[in-house]
Formats: sequence, structure tokens, C-alpha cells
Amino acid sequence: MRLIASVAVVLALAVAACGKGGAEEETGGGSETAIKTGPGATADTITLGYLPDLSGVFAPNGKSQMEGANLYWDAKNKAGGICGRQIEVKVQDTGYDPQKAVTAYRQLSTDVIGLGLVLGSSIVSALLPSVEQDGMFLNFAGWTSDILPAENVAIAGTTYDIEAINAVDFLMKEHGVKAGDTVGHLYFEGDYGENALKGSKFAADKHQLKIAEQKITPADQDMTGQVSALKKAGVKAILFSAAPPQAASLAGVAASQKLDVPIVANGPGWTPQLLTTPAADALIANYYVVSSMAPLTVQSEGVQKFLSEYETAHPDGTPSSNGSLYAYAGAQIADAALTKACENKDLTRKGVLDALHSLNALDTGGTVAGPLDFTDPSKPPGSQVYIAKVSKEAPGGLEAIGEPANATDAEGYSF
Amino acid sequence: MFRLATAIGVVVVLAALPLYLESFWLQTALFAMAAMVAAIGLSLLVGIAGQLSLAHAFFVAIGAYGYSYLAERIAPLLALVAAVLLAGLAGALFSPISGRVRGIYLGLASLGLVFLGQHILQNATGITGGYSGIAVPPFSLFGFSFSSTSPDSLVILGVPFGALERLWYLGVVLVAVAIWYGRNLVRSRPGRALATLRDSEVAAEVMGVDVVRYKAAAFCVSSMYAGLGGVLMALAFGRIVPESFGLLLSIDFLVMIVIGGAGSVGGAAAGALFVTALPLVLNHYSGSLPLLAEPGTGGVGAAEFSRFVYGAAIVAVLLFARDGLAGLARRIRKEKIA
Repeated sequence: MRLIASVAVVLALAVAACGKGGAEEETGGGSETAIKTGPGATADTITLGYLPDLSGVFAPNGKSQMEGANLYWDAKNKAGGICGRQIEVKVQDTGYDPQKAVTAYRQLSTDVIGLGLVLGSSIVSALLPSVEQDGMFLNFAGWTSDILPAENVAIAGTTYDIEAINAVDFLMKEHGVKAGDTVGHLYFEGDYGENALKGSKFAADKHQLKIAEQKITPADQDMTGQVSALKKAGVKAILFSAAPPQAASLAGVAASQKLDVPIVANGPGWTPQLLTTPAADALIANYYVVSSMAPLTVQSEGVQKFLSEYETAHPDGTPSSNGSLYAYAGAQIADAALTKACENKDLTRKGVLDALHSLNALDTGGTVAGPLDFTDPSKPPGSQVYIAKVSKEAPGGLEAIGEPANATDAEGYSF
Repeated sequence: MFRLATAIGVVVVLAALPLYLESFWLQTALFAMAAMVAAIGLSLLVGIAGQLSLAHAFFVAIGAYGYSYLAERIAPLLALVAAVLLAGLAGALFSPISGRVRGIYLGLASLGLVFLGQHILQNATGITGGYSGIAVPPFSLFGFSFSSTSPDSLVILGVPFGALERLWYLGVVLVAVAIWYGRNLVRSRPGRALATLRDSEVAAEVMGVDVVRYKAAAFCVSSMYAGLGGVLMALAFGRIVPESFGLLLSIDFLVMIVIGGAGSVGGAAAGALFVTALPLVLNHYSGSLPLLAEPGTGGVGAAEFSRFVYGAAIVAVLLFARDGLAGLARRIRKEKIA
């Protein structure tokens, strides 16, 4: 009995003695600057959380993204940071596993002002309830409109459905696709592919086109069956919303089956490594990419600055639009929101979120197509896309065709 | 006397932990508790009844999605019970197959359920929400909600009690019930019948065990455990997506019971803790390990390293504790006595 009593007393004392303490919302901040700060912001640092995939299926992309993010923030910190504060980046791997992501988020959530990058829409879906509760912003490394409307989520540019509408527009203007024709759409099951399909169906409806759908999963690597089916359907062009391995197979098999039609892909359908595959020639002949992220040949100030910084930091690396450039652009968006929040003297999470939604014409210097308008959470911030052609000479393997495009069809589209 | 004291000590420590643990640890613990409940179920099925199943993730998904769907419509407690029964029903429906094939063939047959489950979760968007998943309504009991609302700001001893702190207690109770029931089942008449069934179906039949009925019952009970684990997992997530219930989860469960020592209830719980918490904890501390590359600079980063350590830890357990953590504990206890 004495043992029980002593255990109880010791524990009771221990409970009374310490504890993890309550919520730490510091509203004071540095008195001389009189800037309100909250979690993730102190008098000399601002902390951003990054949740890329560094060990799962998208690990190569995740590494590339961290290159881009480090590039931007290192340069920013050298130039004095934001609001006189240095930017600290805290990285946690998600392994593209929602369970790991939720715990990684818990670990970061008390220390960061917002999330500079989160990869994967299933991961964003799993994190969203907590992110909303904590009231922080989240840079979503994905372009699906299903996530809309979301107060807390920032998308870099426009969404897959709008990309697909622009792709159809491009095919009709430049490749002679006309009413009554059939267009194939090869897409992934899941958010990315199905979101793009929504857009292509909308555009097809408008122009009396027929869509020949081919749904695949990431495990399907051989597109022979799909190409045969598309050939049989008599397609005049193919829309492509899957990943690079499928792109290589699609272009290669189509060439061998003499299906000589343009293939227009969403942004994630491209990686510079495709040019080292045997399908390179077929891709150069027929492959196009429609994306909000700039092809690296774009002669705009933002893209060229990124390119020169990248080549200095990683002389042997391969810059990519979806990886390093995206994270770089995401950092630009976070930078703009934080700078604005600093002007408003409110570096709390809510202050940053409000600042983000007050940006109505953010110019990324061309890294993302068109000005970005974050004021309406029910719409993607961008409406323009770059259209690019595969080229061996261009950095990143893509050469932009003309200026960013903006299909008029997209105006009547509801998300 | 000593046992009572230990029990009280354990209860007090478990009750006090949310006062100290940061949200990362609470979240990790909740995932581990969910895995414990489900792993005990699989341990009963594989270790005691001798039926290999790779479909455990499917039944966990039924519990998780069943609860999330029903709790929108009926009281959360009823939804929890219904989700568990639903998982049990799914297990019973599978029993015609599990009664006919055994061993590795049963493993392969059950594997199909995981892919079937993934297909349903992705495409039955009306119920499952498709790839974007569905929100999990908070659990509540007699007006007390296991979320951060109602009562809105609950502060105990200066610590604000949000969803994670409250769910901790629910998890502890559910794990305790799962262990208690599992242990009793193993030691009872049906448990012995199942063990006989595993060793020899003919012998069991001769002893008067109804083989078909017992095999079906084992699958049913195991699925109900999976369902309960699924409910807890859903509550720990707050929003569930199909990716969480794939083949990897099924394999994780098998690893848990092998590491824990197949057939042991306590071992399964320990294995679940090991497999669930280790990668999360390694990830947590990976930042403070020396000689690792910063993400985005090339070289072996913390994320890869924690994978290596995880793999090495599993190999080490299998090498040095061949009968699992449960066997290791047994040997240590024997040595102490001797």
C-alpha cells in the first residue's frame, strides 16, 4: 500500500511541477519594430516548413524541389531576408505517405509560420483539417482544382483542367483539329488525370469534339494497348495526363504504329530525362507540354535569374520546370505574402494569410505564366499557360512556343 | 499486491502522459495505438488460427471509411459499433474462400481484396470521396467531443486539451479492451480450438471442432479488430484518403506480428508500436544526426538514412529475437527467475 501511495505522490508532484505549457501565441514581438508576430516568427527569423517527398516515389522530384527552394532562400537571406529577418527552412520528409505526413506536420506545426511546399494532393487533403485549424498558408505543389475553394492553399498558376482547355485550343488553332474530330485523352486515375479530363471534356463539348478516353494507373508502363485503341478510334491528336514513363511508351509506340499525331501533355508529363530514352526522336517530333510553369527557354527576367543561379550552384544538375523552378516560384509567392504581411506589421499566421489574399497581380518575373491573383480562393490564381515543344538544345528540354496563352473557352468554365 | 501497485502506476502514467507529450508524440502514439488494435486482430488470425491474410488493410479501410460515412448520419458511438460490425461482416463474407484455401494460397487470395478495396475507394466517390478522401467526424460520447470543440477550451493543469490529448484516452481504453479481449480469447476454449486447427485440421475435427465454423469465426473476429483499428486510425488522421490503405499497410501489419511474435497478443501490440513509431521517430531525430546531407544538396539525406536504420532494425530483431519481441521478453523473464 505504501508503494502505491508513494507512486501516486511522486506522480502528482511531477504533474504539478512541470507540464508542456499552453499555446504560445506571442503577440508582443520586438517593441522597436512593433510588428505583431506569432508562431514561426521571431525578432530575427521567420521559419517556413517544407514537406517534400524525399524517400518515396517522387523522391527525385522532391530533391529537385529542395534545390530550387534552397536556391531562392539562400539568395534572399544573403540580401538581408524579409522584414529584417532571416528565413529558416525546416524540412521534413513525407515519403508520399499520408501517415508520415501528418506526424511530420505535427512536428513542424508549432514552429512554422506556414508551409512553403507540400507535395501530393492526397497529402494536402490529409493535412488540410489541421492546417485550417492552425490557420497557416500552404503552398501546394500540385495543380488540381478539386482543392478549391481553399482559403489556406496557394497554387502556383492555373490548374490541370484549364491546361487541358488550353491544350484543346492549341490543337484546334495550330494543328487543324476541327469540329467532329476525335481526340484521345490518356489519363491517370486519381486527382491529376481526372481533373485534366474534366477540362478536356468541357472544351470538347464546346467544339463538338469527341474524346476517346483511356484511363490508366501509374503501374501501367506499356501503352501498346492504349495506342491501338486510340488508333482504332481515329484520333487526330492525343491529350496526355500521366507521368514521364508513360509518355516515353506512348510516343515510342505511336511512332512504331504510324500514329503520327500531336501529343499534348500536362506539366507533370515531362521530365528532361525523357530525352535520354529511345523515344526521344518521337517526342521531338510530336510532343508538346502545356503548363503554368515556364519552360526554361523563356527570356524573362525571373526565369533567366533562376537559370543563372541554378547553374552556379549546381553545375552538373538538371533544372526542371516542375521541380526546382516550381519550388523557386513557390518561394517567390511565399516571399511576396511575407513581405506584404511585414508592410502590414502583422507577421502572425493570419496576417500572412490575409496578405496572401491581398495579392491581386503578383508578377513572378515569368517563372509562372501571367500575373497571379490570390484574392478569390474559389479560383486558381493564374489563368495563363505556356505551351512548349520538346527540343534537344533547350535547357530542361522544352522550348516555349510564343507568349503565354489564355484560351477564351476557359472563361465559361466553372471549377 | 505488487501487481495492483504496478497496474495503478501504469494507469496513472498513461493518464498523465498527455500533460507532457508534444503533439508530435501524441500523434505518433495515436497511429501506434490504431496499429496495435488492428495488429492484435491479425495476430489472432495468423498466429493462433494459422490463416495467412494479406487483406488486413482492406478491413481496416472498411472500419475507417465505415465510421466516417456513418458518423455523419448517426451518433458517433453507434457509428463506431456499426463500422466494427461492418468489418466483421466483410470478414465473414470472405470466409467461403478462407475456408477452402490455406497457407500461401490464402495469402494470395486475400491479396485481391486490397486491390478491390483500392478500386472501390477510388471510384465509389459518393461514399468514399474518391482520391480526395473524406473528413472524419469527431468522436463524441455523452456530449463530450474528442475534438478541440465542445467543451471548447478544456484546460487541465494548465495544458490545453485539444483533439489529440482527448483522443489519447480513447485510444488507451480501446487498446486495453483489445488486449484484454484478445488474451481471454487465446486462453479460452475457442482459442484452444483455433490453435488445434492451426496445428492440424484433422486432429481438430476429430476432437469435435467445427472446422468451417471456427475458420470463419477467426476471420470475422480478426476483421472486427481491423475495423476498430481503422476507426481509431481515421480519428487520428482527421481526414482519410485511399493511399493510406494500400498493400503497404497490409505488409506493415504482417511485419508487426512477425516482429512481435506471431500468436502473442502483447507481442503484436509491441510489434505495432515498433513498426509504426520507429520510422516516425527516426524521421523526427534525423535532423539532429551528424554527417547527413541537407535536403536538396545531394548525398544521403536524413530521410534515406532513417529508411536504412528502419530496415536494419527489422533485420536485427529477426536475427536476435527469432520468436519475436514476445519471445525475447519470455526469455528475459526466465533468465531472471533462473
